[in-house]
Parts: sequence; C-alpha cells; structure tokens
Amino acid sequence: MMIQIKDLHKSFGQLHVLRGVSLNVEEGEVVVIIGASGSGKSTLLRCINFLEESDSGEIFVEGNHVHHTERDINMVRREVGMVFQHFNLFPHMTVLENVIEGPTQVKKMPRKKAASFAYQLLEKVGLSDKATAYPASLSGGQKQRVAIARALAMEPKIMLFDEPTSALDPELVGEVLLVMEELAREGMTMIVVTHEMWFAREAADRVIFMDEGVFLESGTPERMFTEPAEERTKEFLSKILASPNT
Amino acid sequence: MDFTKLSEFVPYFLPAAWMTLKITTLGILIGLFIGFPMAFGRLSTRKWLSLPSKGYIALIRGTPLLLQLFVVYYGLVRLVALAPLPSAALALGVHNGAYIAEIIRGAIQSINRGQMEAARSLGMTHMQAMSRVIIPQAMLRALPPLGNQFIIALKDSSLASTVTVRELVLTSRQLASSNYMMMEMLAIAAVFYLILTGLLTLLVNHWETKMSVSRA
Ligand SMILES: Nc1ncnc2c1ncn2[C@@H]1O[C@H](COP(=O)(O)OP(=O)(O)O)[C@@H](O)[C@H]1O
Ligand SMILES: [Mg+2]
Repeated sequence: MMIQIKDLHKSFGQLHVLRGVSLNVEEGEVVVIIGASGSGKSTLLRCINFLEESDSGEIFVEGNHVHHTERDINMVRREVGMVFQHFNLFPHMTVLENVIEGPTQVKKMPRKKAASFAYQLLEKVGLSDKATAYPASLSGGQKQRVAIARALAMEPKIMLFDEPTSALDPELVGEVLLVMEELAREGMTMIVVTHEMWFAREAADRVIFMDEGVFLESGTPERMFTEPAEERTKEFLSKILASPNT
Repeated sequence: MDFTKLSEFVPYFLPAAWMTLKITTLGILIGLFIGFPMAFGRLSTRKWLSLPSKGYIALIRGTPLLLQLFVVYYGLVRLVALAPLPSAALALGVHNGAYIAEIIRGAIQSINRGQMEAARSLGMTHMQAMSRVIIPQAMLRALPPLGNQFIIALKDSSLASTVTVRELVLTSRQLASSNYMMMEMLAIAAVFYLILTGLLTLLVNHWETKMSVSRA
C-alpha cells in the first residue's frame, strides 16, 4: 500500500470541510477525484502533504504512520510531489533553476548532477529548449509542464494534482494531460483532482466522487460515468458534461 | 545673485555634504540592520517576537524624528556620552528601522501564498523557503519603497543640524550668520541636496533594473 488515509477530519472554524475521509491507494494506482467546487477536494490533497493540518485521522505512507512532527512532515513532502492549479513556479528562477531547486536544496544533490537529471525531465515534458527561459515567458501549459518536472525532480513516490488544467486556456489542456497520462502509464502513483473526463477514462483506475466532505461513491471510470449509483453523482456528472469547457 | 561670488562658498559646503552623506549612510545601514529582524519579528506567529516589534514600530512611527533625536542626544549623552555624529546617525537609524521593517514586512506579505506552499511541498524547510523563494522576490518588490525611504532619510538628516552636526543645513546657517546671505546659503544647500537625492535615485533605479532584467 502506497498511501493510506484513515478517517480524516478537517474544519475551518465552524466549517466542517472533511468529514471522515478514508482512502487507500496502491502502488502504481491512479485515482481521480471529482466533485463540486467546495466539496473539500483541495483540502484533502493539502492535508496529505500537510500544507493543511488535519484535525483528526491518520496518514500512512508506505505503511509508516506520519506524525505531526517537522521531521515526519518533511519526509512526507519529499515523497509526495504536488502540482497546483496555478503552477506556483518560482518567477525569479529560470526553468532549469526551478527544476533543480528541490534536489539541490533539499537533497543536497550536486548542481551538475541535478541539472543533468533536470534536462531529462524537461525532455520528458517537452521543454528542454526552455531551460534558460523565465516562467513569465511561458504559456500556461508550458508552466504547468515545468511544474510537473519540478515535482518529479524530487523523485516522489506519489504525485498529487489539484485541478492542474483548470486555469489553462482550453487549447493548452491537452499538452498537460498527455504528460500526466504518460506518467500514469509509467506506473506513477497518482491522486488527481480533475474534471477532465478524457484523462479519467484513459488513465484512472478508480474515480471517486466527493460530496460535502465525504467520498460518496467510487468505481471504475466506465461505471462511474455510465451508471453512477448515487443521485448526487448523476446530478454532478450531468452538470460537468453539459458545461462547454470539459 | 552673483554666482561667481557664490561659488566661493562651495568649498565650505563640501565637508558639510560629506557629513550629510555620512549620517544618511550610517542611518540607512543601522536602519536596515534593525529593520530586517524587526520585519521578521513582526511577521512571527510567536507573541514574544511579534509584540516587541509591533511596539517598536508603533513607538517610532507615532513620535516625531526630532523628538527621537533629542532623546538619543540629550538622553544617551548622560549615560554613554555619545558625540553628535553618532547620536544623529543612531537616531536616524532607529527611526528608519521602523519604516524599513514595515516596507520589508509588506513586501514579504505581498508574495503569493502559493510560493511558500510550492517550496514547502518540495520538502524545503520554512527557512529555506524564506531565503530562497520568498525573500528574493520580496526584495525586488521592496526596492522602490526602500529607495523612497532612503531619499526621505537623506532629507531627514538635516535635523541633525539641531544637535550641532555640521551638515548642510547647519553649515548654511552658520555661514549666513557671518555673511548675511541667508537665501543664497540655503540655495547652495538646496543644490547639494538635489545632487545627492538625484544620485541616490539613479543608484536605486540602477539596482532595480539590474535586479529585474533577469526576469524579462
Ligand atoms: N484556508 C481556509 N480557510 C477557511 N476556509 C477554507 C480554507 N480552505 C478552504 N476553505 C473552505 O473549505 C471548503 C472546501 O474547500 P476546497 O477544499 O478548496 O474545495 P474544492 O477543492 O473541492 O473546491 C470551501 O468551502 C472553502 O471555502
Ligand atoms: Mg479545489
């Protein structure tokens, strides 16, 4: 088991956002989480790498219980890569510097070694010619691909994606999804929040519908998209399929 | 106004301009030295760090520089007998420290939260994220207001004339008291200030372009 989440709860003040979420993800599994805005998808991902501190519940990475200590949290963050909706590239660094920042600072990898690995990753996401460019000069799709390379540079065991294409112009979505799909095919363990049906169908082993802080139902993409059991899931899917940009 | 006659006085102003520059530079350096830790203190979630910073900033911003200068000059003179120049520089530094702290704090807070999160998600410690990701970006944003503050500091250094530091204003007044050309002497001082503030502006603009070209 790559990652185990047991009965996670999280509130912001009065707002009970995660109401007992449990999730097991096998090595190499790709899980897609869908659900309405505000249902707690981001909060769940953020709790997994401790950008948000859950109120109760437990998280195990490769069987190891993650305690709320600086040491454990830093360990988890090395193993778990995260890709954000708004890329969050470091604007004062070139593409290459962005990608080698983690390995050189966190793993203390020599710069040369980190750079040659970074070039491989940039090659993989199709941006090796942009190594010396600054993020400001890239398109949204290119930025997100750099962000993926930056996360991969830490050689994570799990990758979390929080709506990685929802800030992109429609014509740039495909290039990012293709990179993610390739990653899935290579056996990366992934938890992806996305409403891109194409990606879910192609890459997901399991689709989970999240509703008001709980997992309402889950299943294979085929079943979830063709015969959802819950009324709420049906409602949500019909809205998603009706909207023009998905 | 007889300009050839006025130019005779310029040599008297040169050491005064140098003195103005010295107080200002020392004041800014002390201000930066105080301002940075105060900015971080102010941002800290620990009360024992943030409260003293808040108190210091409130105290300095709520009282006039002239009063602060007198407190240092007349007050500390009793304890450690500080000469006019160091007490003026110290007062200017302590004064500017509060404003610099606020500028740095504002710049740090203006950096998108996602930057810190991206850095932390790579496994960087809070310190690493601050020094590698947040502060470099914050400094770029702080540069224009800092430059502005430095120019204010340069002009504020004129208050040192009240504690017998022979900078530009005191020098012009002393010369005027013997040659009765008050307006002329003040005009010469003004020209020196304009030259100094102009040079400082150029310097700050130079930094700004130098730091931002890399991002284009
Ligand atoms: N830092 C926060 N402080 C207060 N409320 C928050 C915070 N983060 C998220 N929320 C609230 O929690 C709920 C779930 O948010 P989120 O996890 O971002 O949902 P989703 O990603 O599914 O759209 C929303 O109502 C949101 O407003
Ligand atoms: Mg979200």
